[in-house]
Amino acid sequence: MPEEGEKEEMVTPGEVLGKAADLKAGKGAYVAPYRSSEIPYVFSSLTGLRHTLTPPSDSPDQRPTVEVIGHKARGAVPEAGSVVIARVTKVMAKTASADIMCVGTKSVREKFTGVIRQQDVRATEIDKVDMHLSFRPGDIVRAVVLSLGDARAYYLSTAKNELGVVSANSTAGETMVPISWMEMQCPLTRQIEQRKVAKVGS
Amino acid sequence: MEFVNPEGLRLDGRRPMEMRQLRAEIGAVARADGSAVFEMGNTKVIAAVYGPREVQNKSQLSNDQALVRCEYTMANFSTGDRKRKPKGDRRSTEISLVIRQTMEACILTHLMPRSQIDIYVQVLQADGGTRSACINAATLALADAGIPMRDLVTSCSAGYLNSTPLLDLNYLEDSAGGPDVTVGFLPKLDKVTLLQMDAKLPVDIVENVMQLAIEGCKAIATYIREVLLENTKQLEYRRGL
Repeated sequence: MPEEGEKEEMVTPGEVLGKAADLKAGKGAYVAPYRSSEIPYVFSSLTGLRHTLTPPSDSPDQRPTVEVIGHKARGAVPEAGSVVIARVTKVMAKTASADIMCVGTKSVREKFTGVIRQQDVRATEIDKVDMHLSFRPGDIVRAVVLSLGDARAYYLSTAKNELGVVSANSTAGETMVPISWMEMQCPLTRQIEQRKVAKVGS
Repeated sequence: MEFVNPEGLRLDGRRPMEMRQLRAEIGAVARADGSAVFEMGNTKVIAAVYGPREVQNKSQLSNDQALVRCEYTMANFSTGDRKRKPKGDRRSTEISLVIRQTMEACILTHLMPRSQIDIYVQVLQADGGTRSACINAATLALADAGIPMRDLVTSCSAGYLNSTPLLDLNYLEDSAGGPDVTVGFLPKLDKVTLLQMDAKLPVDIVENVMQLAIEGCKAIATYIREVLLENTKQLEYRRGL
């Protein structure tokens, strides 16, 4: 439904959206010379509705951005700096492996592998970190993506107060309650287990 | 044999510049990221696209662009006699390569590095022009999957029999021994991306036949665009937008 009087047009790949001198190409659009002339035009690369975004008033380039929103919902992909929710799969002496399940608020279509290194678990005393006292297999952690990493896994970090284990099960099988940034307690057996706990709430 | 009778009608009753009836359907394979069925007359092909997804063969991984793979097969029941080896034979390998190169030139692969896009095309019923129908079906399936492309690649074949350029040959006309020109075309960018011909054709006729095939491509592009817009409107409507 058109909002604010904007007429939204449905376009297919290859359709001309405007001149590159008047418009900037956003998502779903690209710039190429029009046929045999040298004048660059903005073309659509997806099937969907075209939207025009007004530029921020302080930017030097005052051209509006045109983008095409496709109808197929694409699964989220982790980027450097995005906050992710991951489930720990393996804990070793200096690293912990985790399967990334959500990026931001969107769940992923296929799982991505992330690795948390010993020096990225917390911000202080990073060489004295014991991985087994920070994570256990099966824990749900909130982490931030440091970088795309190597071919096998993304590099994750829990080195902030609000990052770390969000939910974990005790050896008895019950969901534990966090009592400090280092400890969680099982409500059934009253056993205290050590984790790098995330600070939840304001 | 007379392929164009004195009244100017072909074997199936078409005029020389007339294309066969087109029919397209999007989303036939629900599990695939994008899929389409494309019919040109009696030729019917189905295309399914998976991707972009993680590269399975790490040795082929490219850091700056997506890997495009394509597989062309013919169903056992697609031709008159039951085929023994539907894939792996030379013709299928060649057509797979041709389709892959055509689609790869059109997909904006630099936007999806370190990933893989798989295009599977299968011919369900073959009556000439399977190559063209496959490229058209692949274009629709890629557009359905939301993979960014420069333009819609359309393809059409043309031939020259009884001194007449003919558009969109069927199996009988194709196996007559005359030339068969297949053209892949980007309609909005006005560029030819595929040009194949078998048999021989005099140099002064080649241009005419190729132009005829290009006109056919433009007509197919109009139809494909309509189908895509209609399909998107339906999806938007169902989503309540």
